[in-house]
Amino acid sequence: MIARDRNWLLIFAVCVVLAILYPFIADGYQLTVIRDALIFGLFAASLDFFWGRTGILCFGHAAFFGIGGYIMALVTLNDAIPFGSLLGIMGAVTGAAFVAAIIGYFLFFGGIRGSYFTIVTLAMGVICQQAAVSWSSVTGGDSGLIGIPPIEFDVGGTHVDLSQDLPSYIFVAAIVAVVVLGLWSISRGRWGTVLTAIQDNEVRAAALGHNAPLRLLVTFVLSAAIAGLAGALYVCMAGLVAPDLSGLLLSTEVIVWVAVGGRGTLLGPVLGAIFIQRAQQTISSFNPSLWPLLLGCVFVVIVFVLPDGILSIYARLKALLNGRRSTP
Amino acid sequence: MSDVLLQAENVGIRFGGLQALEALNLTVRDKELCCIIGPNGAGKSTFLNVLTGTLRPTSGSVRFLGHDIAGLPLHRIARLGIARKFQIPSVFPSLSVEDNLKVARWGVPSPVRPVGELLELVALTDRAATLAGELAHGQKQWLEIGMALAIEPRLLLLDEPTAGMTPQETLATAEMLLRLKGEFSIVAVEHDIRFVRALNCETLVLHQGRRLRSGPFHDIETDEMVRDVYLGRR
Repeated sequence: MIARDRNWLLIFAVCVVLAILYPFIADGYQLTVIRDALIFGLFAASLDFFWGRTGILCFGHAAFFGIGGYIMALVTLNDAIPFGSLLGIMGAVTGAAFVAAIIGYFLFFGGIRGSYFTIVTLAMGVICQQAAVSWSSVTGGDSGLIGIPPIEFDVGGTHVDLSQDLPSYIFVAAIVAVVVLGLWSISRGRWGTVLTAIQDNEVRAAALGHNAPLRLLVTFVLSAAIAGLAGALYVCMAGLVAPDLSGLLLSTEVIVWVAVGGRGTLLGPVLGAIFIQRAQQTISSFNPSLWPLLLGCVFVVIVFVLPDGILSIYARLKALLNGRRSTP
Repeated sequence: MSDVLLQAENVGIRFGGLQALEALNLTVRDKELCCIIGPNGAGKSTFLNVLTGTLRPTSGSVRFLGHDIAGLPLHRIARLGIARKFQIPSVFPSLSVEDNLKVARWGVPSPVRPVGELLELVALTDRAATLAGELAHGQKQWLEIGMALAIEPRLLLLDEPTAGMTPQETLATAEMLLRLKGEFSIVAVEHDIRFVRALNCETLVLHQGRRLRSGPFHDIETDEMVRDVYLGRR
């Protein structure tokens, strides 16, 4: 096992321990705050899985978050559908994946890459938000849908009800941990190595027999499916869904979370999402208009000073100290 | 003939008003080594692009094992058994040497040669963990040949494999190819006469998109017309 993998697992284990200990020191409200931040962290990890490994930026990732959220809301709000929570989650995941598959097929096999891909996905996000506003008979228009019930399901005879703070926190934290670990093991193995090769030189990878567009498409679809899952979880915890959830602002925020946390690390974006949302809540309580200004400044500073994100602070400090030691 | 691997018949290609290639024929038999030479701008790389299916000829056809390969997606061509080494060394700079070879092996369903053997073939065993982007130019060229070998090709097409190499590296590359000669067919496009002399094989000379001469290298080398073209007298 190489050192980088060992470090990653170590940080992951520390995060898991912290997540387990947190309920012992936090009250119910604080738990729900972290729970919601973790859901956005899952969303950030989904973007990082695609952006971090392929180098292609999707600027409309909130579209998949929103699609997942709306599908979950529509399924659980319909009393005629049994097992609403489970079917809703499945519907949210497949719905987001389906939309990503259609859009991705034309983009990847049509040779759209780089900033062109970013621009097209930006438009996709705007279209999704507009559709959510305009199609009011289904989506509730500007005000969205309210009264979405909490997740509940039966597993092996036990009834799981996530209407309480602690169970919902544990459920979300467990899903985030499992998904992040899963994405990490995919992206460090053969799949991720070939994606890195495609990012380096797509023509070369194809000339070696790799179907690059297909591989990019599958990665994009998987990334969108997880964004859909995050959207579904979020609307159940928040109890409402609104067009903002598929909007440009959220698409931009998730990019900032990934960039701040460290692109390509999967764990960094989760931490970035939690950290920035905590900061947002604290700073907005002094002055709501201060936050966008500060967020912009933090983003610029991170991009210039720590291009690999906050997780790289440790490595940078070590390099700095070693450098000092060797040049007395 | 049953042992014909690649057959280009009457290949012509036109870019707008420019007739880049005209009426070219090439037959590559199984396990045969041949070279395509010619001065700059003679159409060597264009011809190689047609042979690998990346460029569709405006006239004529290219058949590999009887299949027309023009316009097939790149990865399908690779899986038919055609490996290619690009003119500019195109390795994956952010992967290690070993991972570069692994990515190449994963491209084919059932690779035969283990990574260790590939590393040895291209003399990079002690650099296995180095990032490919940090290799010296000649080593990148070799790594790329190693990657081409990893996909178990029936036919290996090399576009100026020795570009930018020192004379020693050039000769070492020629020796490497001569060692591999019995395993599959090799077509090398080259500029460097020393390299072609070291290979001493069937040679096709291109000039301004047309066949100037073809035959064994020692006949080509003594040909007055070829010398004139290379020295720029024509």
